[in-house]
Amino acid sequence: MDEIIVQAKGITKYFPGVLANNHIDFELKKGEIHTLLGENGAGKSTLMNILDGIYHPDEGEIYIKGKKVHIQNPFDAMANSIGMIHQHFMLVDTLTVLENVALGLKSQGLYIDKKEISKQIETISKKYHFNINPYSKIWQLSVGEQQRVEIIKTLFRKAEILILDEPTAVLTPQESEDLFKILNQLLKEGKSIIFISHKLDEVMEISDRITVLRKGKVVGTVHKKDVTKGYLAKMMVGREVLFSLERKPLKRRGEVLKVKELEAYNDKGFKALKKISFSVFGGEIFGIAGISGNGQKILAQTITGLRRATRGKTILNDADITNASPKVIANKGVNYIPPDRLKVGLIPNLDTTENAILRSYDREPITKRNFIDHQKAAEYAKSLIRKFNIMVPRIDAPVKLLSGGNMQKLLLAREIAERPKLLIAVHPTRGLDVGATEFIRKQLLKERDNGLAVLLISEDLDEILMVSDRIGVIYEGQIMKVINIEDAERNKIGLLMAGVNSPKN
Amino acid sequence: MLLFEKRETVSTKLKAAIPLVSVFLGLVTGAIAILFTRTNPIIVYQALVKGAFGSVYTFSETLVAAIPLILISAGLIVAFRMNFWNIGAYGQYIIGAIFGSFFALNMPATMSRPLLLTIICLAGFLGGALWGLIPAALKAFWEVNEVITTLLLNYVALYILKYLMYGPWRNPESHGFPLSKPFELNAQLPRLLPRTRIHFGIILGIIAVIIVYIIIKKTKFGYEIRVIGENKRAARYAGINITKNIFIAMAISGGLAGLAGLAQLSGVIHMLQIEINPGYGYTAIVVAWLASLNPIIAMLISVAFGGLEAGGYQIQMAIRVPFGIVGTIESAVLFFLLGGEILKKYRIKLRRNIL
Ligand SMILES: Nc1ncnc2c1ncn2[C@@H]1O[C@H](COP(=O)(O)OP(=O)(O)O)[C@@H](O)[C@H]1O
Ligand SMILES: [Mg+2]
Repeated sequence: MDEIIVQAKGITKYFPGVLANNHIDFELKKGEIHTLLGENGAGKSTLMNILDGIYHPDEGEIYIKGKKVHIQNPFDAMANSIGMIHQHFMLVDTLTVLENVALGLKSQGLYIDKKEISKQIETISKKYHFNINPYSKIWQLSVGEQQRVEIIKTLFRKAEILILDEPTAVLTPQESEDLFKILNQLLKEGKSIIFISHKLDEVMEISDRITVLRKGKVVGTVHKKDVTKGYLAKMMVGREVLFSLERKPLKRRGEVLKVKELEAYNDKGFKALKKISFSVFGGEIFGIAGISGNGQKILAQTITGLRRATRGKTILNDADITNASPKVIANKGVNYIPPDRLKVGLIPNLDTTENAILRSYDREPITKRNFIDHQKAAEYAKSLIRKFNIMVPRIDAPVKLLSGGNMQKLLLAREIAERPKLLIAVHPTRGLDVGATEFIRKQLLKERDNGLAVLLISEDLDEILMVSDRIGVIYEGQIMKVINIEDAERNKIGLLMAGVNSPKN
Repeated sequence: MLLFEKRETVSTKLKAAIPLVSVFLGLVTGAIAILFTRTNPIIVYQALVKGAFGSVYTFSETLVAAIPLILISAGLIVAFRMNFWNIGAYGQYIIGAIFGSFFALNMPATMSRPLLLTIICLAGFLGGALWGLIPAALKAFWEVNEVITTLLLNYVALYILKYLMYGPWRNPESHGFPLSKPFELNAQLPRLLPRTRIHFGIILGIIAVIIVYIIIKKTKFGYEIRVIGENKRAARYAGINITKNIFIAMAISGGLAGLAGLAQLSGVIHMLQIEINPGYGYTAIVVAWLASLNPIIAMLISVAFGGLEAGGYQIQMAIRVPFGIVGTIESAVLFFLLGGEILKKYRIKLRRNIL
């Protein structure tokens, strides 16, 4: 039972300016579930991508079942029975499950034996209760189902060693439980699993052993039974961590945002918001909890004018802003932290200054008579950097070189500096490490105390519970229920997120 | 075995090296082509340099060839910064030349020269701008890919020119040749130096470069097109009017190409004909990219490419190496430049296959 199936010795990997993996030793025993724990940027994905042949180590050796191997690409990894489920799925949206499974199969030539593959997919699907139709298109599947397709892909290729890179980041608590059941069944069949996460609760639930990474180095490997959550947190962050935030009592002011029976369609042409109604008041954080893909993103886009409402109204301080242009809405005092920092909120290749002025570039003092005053712009950027303590390599470095936490600080600083009446924040801490997460949440609370109305949309239920004053649970484009924080129970919200309860406002 | 690894950042050294290496490899490719003509490439290149920069006269010819490149590349830089792939400077150049010619050919020979020149320059700019606005509108309203529209409009422009030259605008005294009447003196841009063909277009070019530089570096519009070019979704998020900016950028881009076409007629050719060198519209694309979309560097590179062309004529006459070598070198440079884009996205490592 104690056979070592994967052994990595002294793995070192440099990226320009970063030592992502620094002489890492790691081993996986047959039949165990070994968790890699670490903050964002600790080097977990890098190490696993090396095992999967996507990156190549600058130093170090890898042994599979005692034999030294050189994994050049994912085909080699597969040949060594390694299958990886990436943080970002590697699926082609417009193809079917079957076609995705068949993609890149070496045994298949020009002709694909669909019947045979479909039969095998169904066998796997039945065995693990996946409930996946081989002929569904990927885009028709929920995120949880897509993840199961990824698992099918690896099992189809006869993987013995499964690597799951932050698989629960995209799942609801219930879906996570289902995934853990699947993992346990896989273990029983003799598979070995590397599980990556930075969520301590689930790490304590599922792991046999835990290896903690910090800044590219191994802090230590421990048996789960020997440690506590607090101990792991300290290993991971390098200091004591608070699991809750101090909150001042609620001082609620007047209604700032009123959303009335709002409807909108998503890019696929389906109705994503169905007569959704709620209000946000000054001085409170209204949290929207829900599984991704239930209309959260569409809601934020519709309020901020980036998407057309086909019905209903959004009213800001008694003014109708339904379907006004994004600029008008922003000028009226709605600021927005979008879910994808690098795709929407920031311009990755432009520098800190150019990103800092995105909201204010067209007014004085930065612009006078159509000319941009670069000195004023730089001063403005520096003031944001100082106020939020943003770490930049150089002020003229492209923002894509900032760490996720610092990018998000820049984005938040820019939006708050506009002195909005309503701040919409979507997944404001997604992918951030503990320190940056704490900072962002504290800032949201501080603005709330100053009387700002905050609409917080997040998939992280802990976050919602930690900072919100009221919680609306969204399911299939409707608010299932609005709950005051004093009455909020985790389990009940979890069920509402899964659509259990008759919809009512 | 070659290993490809995605990379996030590109060092400034690599960024500077890619154009230099591309030019070098372009010259090597040219050398190989020259070998096929059974000539020594070193001798040809020496003759090329001498033919471009060897005497006051040859250098003046280099500058004459550089003028359209300077004007067009300055305009292309505005569009390219917005990620709008204007491949249509060729057509915009032709339409600009036609618009300008209309006034040059129809206004009385007695009209004051500065006034007529102002009119034809404006008309040239306007013609190119209008031709550039067609793909701009198609893109802004219906998301039609501008690479295709700008490219196809080049052919449309060429056939309009052919129609005019074989039809209504042909000079009855040209013995059937597709030529217009010659421009009167008041429609000719002044020559700046005696015994050379350097004309006032070079001043227009320098002014255009300065204006474009100021526009892209100092103005709100320059910032907005940068944001649109880098991240359209961020632009929409910030409330930038994308449609308006596409229109303005393409009016400038097409307008300068049109002005270049007109300046070539009014400054060098002095009549409308079928061959008015619209190929500068393609060469300017290479110039703009080699300059990393900096208009001042583009002006210097235009002179180098002007030299390539002037020198090309010289080697054809002096050592009978075909002028096509120049086109070979230019396209090879573009080819290597585009290849260099891969280096910006991937780190490539050589490794012996040990498995
Ligand atoms: N392709 C890459 N190019 C440059 N830097 C990278 C690349 N991939 C990861 N990094 C850097 O390496 C470090 C470790 O990243 P990663 O392994 O993704 O961390 P984790 O998965 O633990 O969050 C980070 O600082 C990250 O910015
Ligand atoms: Mg990762």
